[in-house]
Amino acid sequence: MAPPSGLHQSAISSGFEKPFPALVRSSTVPASLKSHRADPSHLAPEDAYTPISPPRQPGIFDTGADTRPRHIRRNDTSRSRSRRRKRFQKLLWVKQSYPDNYTDQATFLENLQRNPRVQPYDFWPLVADSTVILQHVCSVIIFIVCFVGIFQERVSPVSVVGWGSFATFLGWLLWDWWMTQEDQTSAGESGDMTRSMRDGRIYREYRPPRRQDSTSGPSLHQPLAHNISTASISSTSNLPSAASSTTNLLQYQHRPHPTPHQHADSNSQNPAPPKLLTPGHSHSRSVSSVHSVTSQNSANSPTSTSTRGPIHDSAPDSLPNTRAYLRVSTIKSAILIYFTLLGLSPILKSLTRSTSSDSIWAMSFWLLAINIFFFDYSGGTPSHISGPHKTKKMPVASLSTNAALMASTVLASRLPSTGQVFSLTLFSIEVFGLFPVFRSYARHKSWRYHVLLTVLLVLGAGGGVGIILGEPSATTWPWKRGLAGMVIGCLISAVAIGGCSWWLIGMQKYKNEIYGPWDPARPIIISRRHWDDD
Amino acid sequence: MAPTYNIAMVSDFFYPQPGGVESHIYQLSTKLMDRGHKVIIITHAYEGRTGVRYLTNGLKVYHVPFLVIFRSATFPTVFSFFPIFRNIVLRERIDIVHGHASLSNFCHEAILHARTMGLRTVFTDHSLFGFADAASILTNKLLKFTLSDVDHVICVSHTCKENTVLRASLDPLMVSVIPNAVVAENFKPLSPSENPSYPPPARPLGPHDIITIVVISRLFYNKGTDLLTAAIPRILENHPNTRFIIAGSGPKSIDLEQMIEQNVLQDRVEMLGPIRHEEVRDVMVRGHIYLHPSLTEAFGTVIVEAASCGLYVVCTQVGGIPEVLPSHMTVFAKPEEDDLVTATGRAIAALRANKVRTELFHEQVKTMYSWENVAVRTERVYNGICGAISEGEFYGYCEGENAGGNGNSWSATRGRSGVQSFALIDRLKRYYGCGIWAGKLFCLCVIVDYLLFLFLELWFPRERIDVCPDWPRKKVRKDSRRE
Repeated sequence: MAPPSGLHQSAISSGFEKPFPALVRSSTVPASLKSHRADPSHLAPEDAYTPISPPRQPGIFDTGADTRPRHIRRNDTSRSRSRRRKRFQKLLWVKQSYPDNYTDQATFLENLQRNPRVQPYDFWPLVADSTVILQHVCSVIIFIVCFVGIFQERVSPVSVVGWGSFATFLGWLLWDWWMTQEDQTSAGESGDMTRSMRDGRIYREYRPPRRQDSTSGPSLHQPLAHNISTASISSTSNLPSAASSTTNLLQYQHRPHPTPHQHADSNSQNPAPPKLLTPGHSHSRSVSSVHSVTSQNSANSPTSTSTRGPIHDSAPDSLPNTRAYLRVSTIKSAILIYFTLLGLSPILKSLTRSTSSDSIWAMSFWLLAINIFFFDYSGGTPSHISGPHKTKKMPVASLSTNAALMASTVLASRLPSTGQVFSLTLFSIEVFGLFPVFRSYARHKSWRYHVLLTVLLVLGAGGGVGIILGEPSATTWPWKRGLAGMVIGCLISAVAIGGCSWWLIGMQKYKNEIYGPWDPARPIIISRRHWDDD
Repeated sequence: MAPTYNIAMVSDFFYPQPGGVESHIYQLSTKLMDRGHKVIIITHAYEGRTGVRYLTNGLKVYHVPFLVIFRSATFPTVFSFFPIFRNIVLRERIDIVHGHASLSNFCHEAILHARTMGLRTVFTDHSLFGFADAASILTNKLLKFTLSDVDHVICVSHTCKENTVLRASLDPLMVSVIPNAVVAENFKPLSPSENPSYPPPARPLGPHDIITIVVISRLFYNKGTDLLTAAIPRILENHPNTRFIIAGSGPKSIDLEQMIEQNVLQDRVEMLGPIRHEEVRDVMVRGHIYLHPSLTEAFGTVIVEAASCGLYVVCTQVGGIPEVLPSHMTVFAKPEEDDLVTATGRAIAALRANKVRTELFHEQVKTMYSWENVAVRTERVYNGICGAISEGEFYGYCEGENAGGNGNSWSATRGRSGVQSFALIDRLKRYYGCGIWAGKLFCLCVIVDYLLFLFLELWFPRERIDVCPDWPRKKVRKDSRRE
């Protein structure tokens, strides 16, 4: 909010007299109420004694009492003139020669701002952004379709979880490949314009601009490689996964690494750590501290590598080792989750035996609704749309994942056999825990992947719904229904996305934010202490 | 002979609870009584204080038992206050009901019931509200409800007036700006006889004399304690011979204490903790500069008190603060850490260069703000709404224009001499405009209130209510009656 800085000066310094029209009720009431002056061709009663004059430029007219509002008190004009000599000032300590309820038109509500920070939406960017929501809704629908398929014993649970795991494995390989590629890209040609999109994003948002040249200079080639890898790793740990225990598959990989806070501490011994004005976000701080190391000189690189973990602290170029280590740990945690679920499945199977199915359907409906509404659509890392101010994680993002997993648990407990329960639970972890990470990553990686994924999801969800709506027939594969479902799904999603975007844009005209000097000022505090950011 | 009125001040906030609104009500009532009016105060029961009390100057206080929910604001039951309120009003033969503070439920209910009973109502707004958060939206809607049918509104600063006009969609002409005041006698600078060990600077402040900066505020976010916490180490670093005295308590005091420990400033920053209002002056006169880092403030009485004590004031330029003091007494800062540090630096430099005549501040403030003046101006409002001043004179426009038949619905609701009419249908018209749903709801409330009034008239007829004898009124001094 703009501070009301002009208030005092304008009241004091503008010594010249602004011409303001006569104080009449019609001029001070809100604009909608100025009814009787609506038609300028007709004379209003005050025209009889107040000549309508165009507003004159300040300073070219006399400052005598004649230009004062002389209109209102015909009965005691002389008294009024003698009293209204001084100009009205918006001050309280001055003895005003105006009555207390005098409303000066030149200064009344002069600091009012309406919609000062509103930025209009454009249609196509809005549609593009809303695909994130569409993707999530579609993946939820696909999960439900799979459950119904398993429940009605149309689909073999093994095939569901088999295909799901296969897709997850493919996604992980792809992700791993991206990561490796990215590391190499940023290590090899960091100063170039061919830097990948994600790197460019991190650099643009998290680094003080003036340090850009020194960092990407070729002389800092070797330390940069380490630091970039650290930065990218610590940023991926902030992907929307973060939410729950099931997503530790990815977080596992980063456990040996120091937390961002340790980074900051270990780097604070550098002579001039940069002050980054992003309070309360550890992610940005860690990246900034990494860059601070980078921007110092290569002598600091042992310091930074030594903080990185017990495994590879001595290797000077530990990049391939890191990746290999990450892969091994990922596989380890995947196996761990697999066997834990296998052990838990018999327990889950009888979890809600005493509850009627209706309650379970209602409950899972609400849980999935909670999942959809509280899902962290911002993608965890700042996207190209939301600015760096929105990087704060939604505090309820973990609620979303937990609700989804609970829904899958109670749904799975409806299933009759252990194998089905295990399959559905594993599938739900893949859909709700891992898939969002991959989705947001794909979105940051390339727009084309994002669109492709969206189309696939819409088709899958539409087709699935079409198939399960029909009667089960053992003989033929109901491809007609599936096709019809796909078409209808595409139509519905297109209409929904377009309609909602259009609706939101249409609603913008009702936006009426009012700012003024009465709003609490937002203090600008630069040297935040440690205890302020957590 | 000027007309005198029987006035009931209604607010949730009154003594024994300390605070700005409380002292405002007390001072205003006292001065109005000095001018020959009869004033009573209606508030809710505080612990150990129920029933009718007389204060020493004959000010009568009704402590009505009522459920208190939050920070001594009562529970909003729209109608339950009516029977006892009617009883009090009839006993005391009240003409004008004057409510205070927009967070006080008592005040809103009293204004509604008073209009139902056909009394004149005035509302004084002491605070600023934004428009964005949920609490503000609710408060603003309630305020709109109450102020749809009020005769006049008083605000404590021009910013407050703008805010209130916007919040309650009022005609700006029915909103007067009457500032708060200070009792200048209670905020005198230190006289040499008072404390010989601490003489006021008779000689100019040298470059090595200690300059003390005083901060007295509740330590809340709104009061800018974060700014203070950030600025103090830098100020102390830039200016070696300075120290701070901080009085007040609140949730942010822990931050201040941490800052002191972190920067090892125990010998340069003194934290006094909570102090009573009577002790404020004694703390203030120990310093040279008063620092007020507030983020929002309707009036800022404390900076007037500080100036009256002869302190040079450094304050953030927010809310109504820029209107309060002349520029030679203040240094304004933007609500930013850097600017606050620079502004304090400027103030210290000006004091060291002996450019500021702080010893004159007390007399100047005394002429600017006095409760007598506030009472005179409030009396003019009362005259205006009761018809003692003609509509043209009070509202600053003439009746001919109004009678010109321009079909202005704004003034169509006004009855005789510029005051709003009591006819139920006119009142309903005013409430109906509050909003699509709210308007109908408010109309329903008003109708129920009116039915309740009729019921009370039948069940507890006026004749059966005792009229209590008045405290002997003071004689009005003729000379003080100036318009």
